[in-house]
Amino acid sequence: MLSKITSFALNGLEGVPVDVETDINKGMVSFDLVGLPDTAVKESKERVRSAIKNSAFRFPVSKITINLAPADIKKEGALFDLSLAISILKASGQLSGETDFVFLGELALDGSLRPVAGLLPVLISAKNKGFKRFIVPFGNANEASYIEGTEVYALSSLRDAADFLNGEKQFAAVEHRSFNQVQSRRAYNCDLSLVRGQKVAKRALEIAVAGGHNILFSGPPGTGKTMLARCIPTIMPDLTFDEALEVTKIHSVSGELSEDGIVSLRPFRTPHHTASTVSLCGGGNTRIRAGEISKAHKGVLYLDELPEYNRHTLESLRQPLEDKVITVTRAGGAVTFPADFILCASMNPCPCGNSGSQTSECTCTPAQIRNYRSKISGPLLDRIDLQVEVDGVKYDDLASDTVEENSASVKERVERARAIQRERFADEDMSVNANMGERQIKKYCRLSYQSEEILKNAFNSLHLSARGRSRIIKVARTIADLDYSEEIKPEHILEAVSYRNLDFK
Amino acid sequence: MYTNEEINLITLSSFSLPYEINKKLLSEFSSANPDFKKYESFLIKTFSQGVYNKVTGDYCEPSYRVKILRELEKKGINCVTYFSEEYPETLRNIKDSPVVLYCKGDISLLKSRCFSIVGSRRTLPKILNSCKKISGELSQEFTIVTGLAEGADSKAIEGALENGGKVISVLANGLDHIYPACNAGLLRKVAQSGLVVTEHLPQEKPRPYYFPIRNRIIAGLSVGTLVVSAGAKSGAAITADYANDYGRDVFAFPYCTDVSSGEGCNELIKNGASLTRNVLDIFAEYGLDLKGRKKIELTESEKIVYELIKKSGEAFLPEITNKLNKSVAEIMPVIMSLTIKGLVAGIGGNRYSVIQ
Repeated sequence: MLSKITSFALNGLEGVPVDVETDINKGMVSFDLVGLPDTAVKESKERVRSAIKNSAFRFPVSKITINLAPADIKKEGALFDLSLAISILKASGQLSGETDFVFLGELALDGSLRPVAGLLPVLISAKNKGFKRFIVPFGNANEASYIEGTEVYALSSLRDAADFLNGEKQFAAVEHRSFNQVQSRRAYNCDLSLVRGQKVAKRALEIAVAGGHNILFSGPPGTGKTMLARCIPTIMPDLTFDEALEVTKIHSVSGELSEDGIVSLRPFRTPHHTASTVSLCGGGNTRIRAGEISKAHKGVLYLDELPEYNRHTLESLRQPLEDKVITVTRAGGAVTFPADFILCASMNPCPCGNSGSQTSECTCTPAQIRNYRSKISGPLLDRIDLQVEVDGVKYDDLASDTVEENSASVKERVERARAIQRERFADEDMSVNANMGERQIKKYCRLSYQSEEILKNAFNSLHLSARGRSRIIKVARTIADLDYSEEIKPEHILEAVSYRNLDFK
Repeated sequence: MYTNEEINLITLSSFSLPYEINKKLLSEFSSANPDFKKYESFLIKTFSQGVYNKVTGDYCEPSYRVKILRELEKKGINCVTYFSEEYPETLRNIKDSPVVLYCKGDISLLKSRCFSIVGSRRTLPKILNSCKKISGELSQEFTIVTGLAEGADSKAIEGALENGGKVISVLANGLDHIYPACNAGLLRKVAQSGLVVTEHLPQEKPRPYYFPIRNRIIAGLSVGTLVVSAGAKSGAAITADYANDYGRDVFAFPYCTDVSSGEGCNELIKNGASLTRNVLDIFAEYGLDLKGRKKIELTESEKIVYELIKKSGEAFLPEITNKLNKSVAEIMPVIMSLTIKGLVAGIGGNRYSVIQ
């Protein structure tokens, strides 16, 4: 007998419908799986055989051929287990009911269903392609509950699925959950008010987040650079549902979702400096996976000890920093992942770390310092609008009980500045100042004669590199926005200049 | 072009004998046909038969002389020899004056009034700013003589050039090489508007022991030497010792005792060098006056912040904001404006110092 049901394969962040066709014939006993399955799919034969047997069904003793169509797409992962089992049951006549569902799920040997990675992107693609009804593992219920307009049944075993299809048991579809509820439950576990002192760095953080600028902290070890960076998500505007779905898709494919089933907080990714280019940008031979920069989408990518990273790896960030997406191309195909993140990096001012410190003397020669800094290329540094020095913290600062401003009030100012920017860029394909190109700078950042003069003087006396000019103007625009100023005033320019201090000679 | 006497010395110099020996042979080589025999045993004993043969063989060979002169000309190198008119008296008077100076740039500067600024490569950022400033001011009256090292030397060159002053940079290697390589741009600028000098043949690479020897030329060229920073065993201190030996004035910046890059300076002051706080201390010594000091206009808030930083010499930005009860957003532009006006400078870690 022949049966045909539907499942989905993943290609990057896109789901592709796959027909699972099973034919059971008389002949030599065999079990063949065709249609470009990868190892994990081939292995599912063994799982399916045991799961069927242990769910009190009969595994047909005949010639079984299963085809996964279209045959030219590589099928990966354990996503197909359930559909294979259902399709065999149907072909062998053990299942009589309607099978007008999309089946997704991995089987355990005892016939229970295990959650799978990448369910959310599949659901979204399937919904867009007109599929409405799904049977998924119970462990994926939360993930599935955010998609409106679908009928998702989260079941815990193959037996349940079969009974449900046969009409012997009734299950309710997964209830739709609203994103806001989940979001309000979650909170970041750090806050700007916990960081003592560091006024300049905090101010710079506010500007960076308000305008979507990348930021580099330079300062002696142990002064709280990492702590400051961890506070960035806390002052960013809350994720909208659409943004959250976009982020969740990526995290879902990587199998990194929390039990909420959706990413409700802005991601904060800190790949170690031994990270490879592929782990950062994404890649992989058969199945192309998202890298850290995509997992940091709509959040923060924090690179601690920037000069310690492999130079080649750092250079690979240049293009995604401009384009906000990365297209990973392999012989097997190309996949585009979103990568719209704020880059926050930190470094020591010199190899010994004490340059600029008040308490200890720096023992580095100018050549050593230059070598250390030259590990970060000019073009990369150019994409980091704000370069900020972190104070060497004294014990007094840590012990003082002055009340520091908390993240919520900074976030309020950030949101107001962002609102101004949204209005400004209503007709443009961007939402923050950092994304402005030369054309937009000309249009939205006119400088008065006085401001222009000051900028010129700054360039002459501080020997700034000419390519820093548009960066300074963009940052000045953000500072003016935070100040509710239509016009970019001289003090905005001056403050923006002060955040280019790695450029000074 | 060169006189015969000069060519004699250029030829002598081309054998790369140590400078003490060149000086010893100086009087002999003023004649066209020197009496090598007189030095035969000395040269062979000090070097080898081979060196002696080469010196005696090549010295009188006209084609050899043509060859080395042509090579120097091709590289655009001017030679100023001990017998040249352009050779400065200041250098002629010292006991181990170089026999030939290989020059690129304006050789008339050798005879101008020179003042040298030397310092360590590990000079504090704050002192580097002062060094740059004082070099600019000194260059009104003097040609600034220094090396080409990073740190103090580079800042002295920058300061003088930016103020339209003249600079002589004395190298410890031949003119074919640039050391340190990162200062290639600076070297080019000096060669354009000032003068680059070395006593080494063009192809000579820098060697550690060339640097202390080079320092005698820096000290010898100048009427005075300012040591902006010097560790306990520093090349800058060696230059000051030379200056002292030659009877020139030595000036030094004073330091707090816990700064290791200032130990040498304090030692010099203890031994009689003039304590120097700013350019006026030096000018007073020579009866000079600082001209055209620009009056810098300051706004009210700039004045307040400037005075605050000046009071303690350097200030931490959060301290300024606390004392004035202002936010970073208010203070940062003021400090930046003061920086652009050249009154204060960042010295790292959000600390700012007044440029003395």
